[in-house]
Amino acid sequence: MKSFQLNLLAAAVSAFMLSACGDAETTIVEQDPIEVPEDDHDHDDGYSIESAGRLAILASDSNEALIYDLDDNSLLGNFALTYSSSSLSSSADFRYALISTRAQDQIEFIDGGLWQEDHGDHLHAYQQAPTMSGYTLNGSRPTHLVKHDGKLAVFYDGNAETGEVASVQVVTDTDIANQTQSLPVLNYSVNMHGVAEPSEDYLIASIRRDDSLSTSANKVLPDQVGVYHLHDGEYEHEHIFEQSCPDLHGAAQNEEYQVFGCSDGILVTQQNGSEYNSAKIANISALDGLRVGSIYGHHELESFIGVASVHGGGAAILVHINPHDNEMETIDWQPQTSAQPLAYSFTADGEHFLILDNQGYLTLLSEHTHDDHSHWEFDSRIDISEQDIANMPEGLSFSMTISQNDHIVYIADPIAQHILQINLESGETTGEIELNFAPKAISWLGIAASEDEHDH
Amino acid sequence: MYHKKRIAIAVAALFPFVSAAQNLSGVVLNQQGNPIANARVKVEGTPFSAKTNEQGQFQLSNLPIGENELHIFAKNFAHRHQHVEIPKQGLNQYIIKLNRSPIEVIDVVASPVHLSVMESATPVNVIAGETLRQQQAATLGDSLEKLAGVHTNFHANVASTPIIRGLSGPRVMIAQNGLDVGDVSRVGPDHSVSSEVSTAQQIEVLRGPATLFYGSGAIGGVVNVVDFRVPVENTTQGEWLLEASSVNDKKLAAFNLTTGSDSVAFYADAHWREADDYKVPTAEGKIANSSEESNGFTLGSSYLLDNGYLGIAVEQFNREYGIPGHTHGEVESDAEETAENVYADLEQTRIQLLSELKLANSIFNQLNIRAASTEYEHAEIENSSVGTVFENSTQELRVELHHNPFFDWKGGLSFHYKNSDISAKGSEAFTPPSESQTFAIALMEEKHFGDVLVQLGARADQVELTANQVLLPELAVHAHSDETEEEEHDHDHDNSGYTSVYRVEQKFTPVSLSTGFVWDFTPGYNIGLSVSRSQRAPSASELMSFGPHIGTASYEIGSLFNFHQHGDETHFELNQQPVELETAKNIDFTLRKTQGDLGFVFNAFYNQVDNYYYQTATGLYAEVTHDHAEETDEHNHDHEHASELPVYLFQTDDVVLHGFEAQLAWQITDEFKTSLFSDYVRAKLKDGGDLPRTPPLRLGTQFSYQTSQLNAQLDITRYQEQDKISDYETVTSGYTLVDANIAYDLSLFNLNTALYLKINNLTDSEARVHTSFLKDLAPRPGRNFTAGIRGYF
Repeated sequence: MKSFQLNLLAAAVSAFMLSACGDAETTIVEQDPIEVPEDDHDHDDGYSIESAGRLAILASDSNEALIYDLDDNSLLGNFALTYSSSSLSSSADFRYALISTRAQDQIEFIDGGLWQEDHGDHLHAYQQAPTMSGYTLNGSRPTHLVKHDGKLAVFYDGNAETGEVASVQVVTDTDIANQTQSLPVLNYSVNMHGVAEPSEDYLIASIRRDDSLSTSANKVLPDQVGVYHLHDGEYEHEHIFEQSCPDLHGAAQNEEYQVFGCSDGILVTQQNGSEYNSAKIANISALDGLRVGSIYGHHELESFIGVASVHGGGAAILVHINPHDNEMETIDWQPQTSAQPLAYSFTADGEHFLILDNQGYLTLLSEHTHDDHSHWEFDSRIDISEQDIANMPEGLSFSMTISQNDHIVYIADPIAQHILQINLESGETTGEIELNFAPKAISWLGIAASEDEHDH
Repeated sequence: MYHKKRIAIAVAALFPFVSAAQNLSGVVLNQQGNPIANARVKVEGTPFSAKTNEQGQFQLSNLPIGENELHIFAKNFAHRHQHVEIPKQGLNQYIIKLNRSPIEVIDVVASPVHLSVMESATPVNVIAGETLRQQQAATLGDSLEKLAGVHTNFHANVASTPIIRGLSGPRVMIAQNGLDVGDVSRVGPDHSVSSEVSTAQQIEVLRGPATLFYGSGAIGGVVNVVDFRVPVENTTQGEWLLEASSVNDKKLAAFNLTTGSDSVAFYADAHWREADDYKVPTAEGKIANSSEESNGFTLGSSYLLDNGYLGIAVEQFNREYGIPGHTHGEVESDAEETAENVYADLEQTRIQLLSELKLANSIFNQLNIRAASTEYEHAEIENSSVGTVFENSTQELRVELHHNPFFDWKGGLSFHYKNSDISAKGSEAFTPPSESQTFAIALMEEKHFGDVLVQLGARADQVELTANQVLLPELAVHAHSDETEEEEHDHDHDNSGYTSVYRVEQKFTPVSLSTGFVWDFTPGYNIGLSVSRSQRAPSASELMSFGPHIGTASYEIGSLFNFHQHGDETHFELNQQPVELETAKNIDFTLRKTQGDLGFVFNAFYNQVDNYYYQTATGLYAEVTHDHAEETDEHNHDHEHASELPVYLFQTDDVVLHGFEAQLAWQITDEFKTSLFSDYVRAKLKDGGDLPRTPPLRLGTQFSYQTSQLNAQLDITRYQEQDKISDYETVTSGYTLVDANIAYDLSLFNLNTALYLKINNLTDSEARVHTSFLKDLAPRPGRNFTAGIRGYF
């Protein structure tokens, strides 16, 4: 068995060798990180997208709208529009830019490319390149666009000269995405310069009575408010509020109330199931003969802010409207000499009310509570333009839009041909988009901060 | 690579062939004194070999004078080693008698040391010829699953990979003619192996560590598919086959042909297969997305030299197969209704260059060169749009030099180079693109010390793994528990877009050593013992993955990363632990009865693997978005679905695998034979706990009846229940499969033609495969009738 011993020796030798070991060496070098890739194939694997949003800009000198990326202020696309003299706003959930051309009876849409969908257990965000939607809304003289809780009510005034009657269409972002052909509609039998507030399956909308009954001085303005309920794609008349509203113009709503501006005060309406209430807040003497013609509301605020001004500009009187206490009081917004407001807006969180004026100032109001009574007071003022306002191109003005997911306002300056990004907390300018044209209007698009419209 | 090859040929040509030597002629007989045809007589340590004719006669010339060692083998007979002293005048009328072996013994081709089921220290299975044709399936794992110690990870008929002694994936190498097959089947159970069995000649399985022969990726074993695509002979011969199966309406046609004249040989093969979704004996009815279509062809040619050959083969392999279970983490009870049309489109082009040259110089006697270049691509397609594309570009060169016996030690040196570029692009690209480069040198030696054959080997590799874009995104994860259920849906899935990027370079130097012996302690029996220590470099997917892997329905994170919990928040970050080599220390014991009417092989093994890379459930779930491009209307609308996937993290731990394989065959009469086999593996963590997807205990039996015209088998295989499971697995019930086949030789037109009928799962039993990732979704097919005709010429 000599061979066997040899073999044992060999095994022993190799057993010794078994203790020899291999080696591993690792080198890791960190590279530049990747932040928010554009391509949604690359974006990481959650449902949400962190993005400042996008900005739609209407050019003044051409039939063109542009979409900018607010994360890096880069141009994402420009889109030729069918008509000039349009106005710009956004869809109910801020996915689409709305290009509304009243004189041409048309609304066009640009998909901003940022949106989220409700997937049952979660909200699912999407990020794509902006595109022109082939979808259009057509109706006689689309005028007032009212957004509430994911719904946009388009009020078509109709046209007495052509015999076209007024109507309302309610459109959601999903309808625009799906190009829904038959939208819920309210058809009137006359024309009017009216307004409608969407609320779930209801429309709280203005009613124009027969001229012989109408209390309006200007008969094209309605003087009543009714409740319409959606059945089979059509809003059917359900109720007329007792209180009338002569020369109705301007409306707003919050969770509880709808308010309408009337020549004799503010009509407050309320609907609880099948119970309907209405009240009138009388005009206060400080209005000095003027009436509230536009009203601003925020769903988280109990009260509203109304604006009374001479038609076509002039000094404006702001009033605080409290429907709960049936009160109205003036707000001293401490205007600069000859400052005429151009635009008003609540911030996304409702903490501030902004007034942009023609002198290049942005005034911030904020709410204060004294003895259980809230008041809106002057808070601060930001100088938004270093330009000489005398150089403002004919027919243009400063304009603004509010970010729905940050404390930011974007201001378009047609003189300087740029867009400023202003942080409302610090009052500082935190960014600028330079343009080679004068911007006519701007509108923020994107995914609104989640806490608001989706939790009820 | 090509350049090196030319040098090798030039070197070979420098040494003139030895002519001053003698002849040996004789006859090979069985124990009854009848001649054995087609027996091979090989002179060990030399390139000389001869085949016996119908009368059992053979003739060898140019043998060196003095002692020669002969290795004689024939089908159904035990291999025999015999020393012969050749005198100056040569030797005639030399008689060799072989013993019957009821266990088929086929040598592993092209190895510097002996490897066969009966003769090596390490356990080996080889199947070829009729047996291979009977067992061949559409996928490699399913084709080999009747071998002791080899299970399949059955992936709904469309993809399967062999599991050797409980190990699979990056631990089992799939080779073709000794070179990496070059696909991406090692990283995903739903990725098909790009090798076709119906045109292969022989499949060799090395059970247990085989890093010595094949390098780092073979720590658990090797499956080598051998074909003669680069022809070594110019005699016209071939094989053709047509068959159809009932369970999935499969149709298969394949042929291969070798021919040539003078010094040029040609080879061609082609196959075509089409199968629908297969039927199952359970409520599912049919398994959605289990259809398959594949085709391929090869053209090869060789230049035959006096001292060997040099040849090239170009092959194209195309396969389109469904990806069942593409359900994004949720287990769908009714697969058929909810399944989308998801399939993979695979394409591979492979060029092989092989050469074996006999050398006649004082040191080396044989030079083997193998080179291959493979371009592989597969795209996963969902509703007609491409989801993820996997690519692998591999170049490989192996040079083996066998030396002349040196103090009776026979063996050789092998040099190995391999470069692989692997990338995955798309929504399910869970592993970053990486390049790996291997250089290796190995030595294998064996020597007969009387009744003892000693086999030794050593190999050192240098593996460089480079990835330029290893991504660490900020991943939103959450835990599932009843108390937090409410909260969890409110919390903001803040997957902000910040992704850290790293360039990672890994350098590994795995070293493998092995020693073993086979001792013929009494005539007709031997025992073998093999001790080895093998090392493996972890793969790119084990280290650098970070993403959703739909094939395994999990979110995979490589061991380069680790996570940290701050209160409710979980952060993934770079792992501070060093990257380690996986090291296996393996002992194999074999007892064999090699000849006579009863033969058996019994193997027992104990394998301790340190730093075993495996996936552990973190208890976290990642939200995953997944694109499904759907054409809903004229506006191309991208629709995304989201789901959550469990997060698995690669970790290392020490594990122990032990088990046995037993094979026994009894030739009852000349016609009747019965065989039994069994295998078992226990795979557990050293600190407690079981590894997932470990094959259950298995017992199989085969009755076979064979005459010159008729060949029939009945197979009964029992899979026991598997209840040794890891935390996130469930127990799998046992089942019994009954298969039968019968073949009748027609001998039409003087050609060897056979009609055959196969029945699989005769009892139409529900069989769920514990080792399958689709255990709950896709049981094995129900009763299946296959009829076919095949011929040899």
